[in-house]
Amino acid sequence: MATSTVSSIPLSLSDRLTAGIVALLIGGFLVFGAGLANSAVLHDTAHDTRHSYGFPCH
Amino acid sequence: MIVRTLLAAIVAGLIAGVFMTGAQELRVVPLILHAEEFEGEAPAAGEQPAAVQPGTADPAAANHDQHSSLKAVSPIDALLDALSPITPAYAHEGEHEEGGIMFGMSRFSGTLIANLVTGSGFALLLAGVSLVIGYPITLRNGALWGACGWLAVHMLPAIGLPPELPGFPAAELGDRQVWWLATVALSAAGLYLLVLREEIAAKIIGLVLIAAPHVYGAPQPSDISSNVPAVLGAEFAVAALATTLAFWIVLGVVSGFINDRFAKA
Repeated sequence: MATSTVSSIPLSLSDRLTAGIVALLIGGFLVFGAGLANSAVLHDTAHDTRHSYGFPCH
Repeated sequence: MIVRTLLAAIVAGLIAGVFMTGAQELRVVPLILHAEEFEGEAPAAGEQPAAVQPGTADPAAANHDQHSSLKAVSPIDALLDALSPITPAYAHEGEHEEGGIMFGMSRFSGTLIANLVTGSGFALLLAGVSLVIGYPITLRNGALWGACGWLAVHMLPAIGLPPELPGFPAAELGDRQVWWLATVALSAAGLYLLVLREEIAAKIIGLVLIAAPHVYGAPQPSDISSNVPAVLGAEFAVAALATTLAFWIVLGVVSGFINDRFAKA
């Protein structure tokens, strides 16, 4: 606790970019799987979600 | 530290996903269910919709039609599918019978899981954009981050491809997905240039990027006749955009709160 600081970006530049790109890749994978992936099981499971979010569906 | 940042985003996404599920059940899902009552009726042909026998559905049928894992495909249906220009729009009745949903979950559970996954995904994307461009999400600007996410992912693409109900006519799925992805990416880049860059030139380029996919034009179906009442479609479009706006604002504010509170070293 004694070492906690209030800086707006606590990460170094390279750490920040690494974290950002990892987040973009994982996030893109999850959204693609739930929203766009061309699989009948995924489609049926996420059907109402896909419609609600306005993903192109069917 | 990286893991902590990612976990913060995932937690925010899970919270927003639970919220979204509740919001959907109020208005959006009832409209989807209502529309599905009209979906099986072929608009122009007047052909009898195929009776679906959940127990007898052939698993191999799933390969025939990506839109339905359980539709029993009769030769007449196959012929109609081949002749119809808008097959996907109404060719998926009966898909929610037992077995279509992962692990045999109920429809609600499937929606909840999908919302959790989608929420985490969007939260990670938002956090990723924030990290890459170097503008942290905080409690104070969280709602604005969320609003920009909603604009980029829902509102701007909806200008070309409004949220559709089951049974709505639509162009080829692949074309729409490509257009949608391109529009989301261009809108996000355009919003960044427009909102966060000071230079006039950057703002103009941002506007051009946002407008470009709409000038190009979204893929449209060749036949727009549908059995789903237009009133349902209008109600659904408003409900879907309103719930996603609420989702994104919750996501942005919760992300900002968690960042302020926990994610800092």
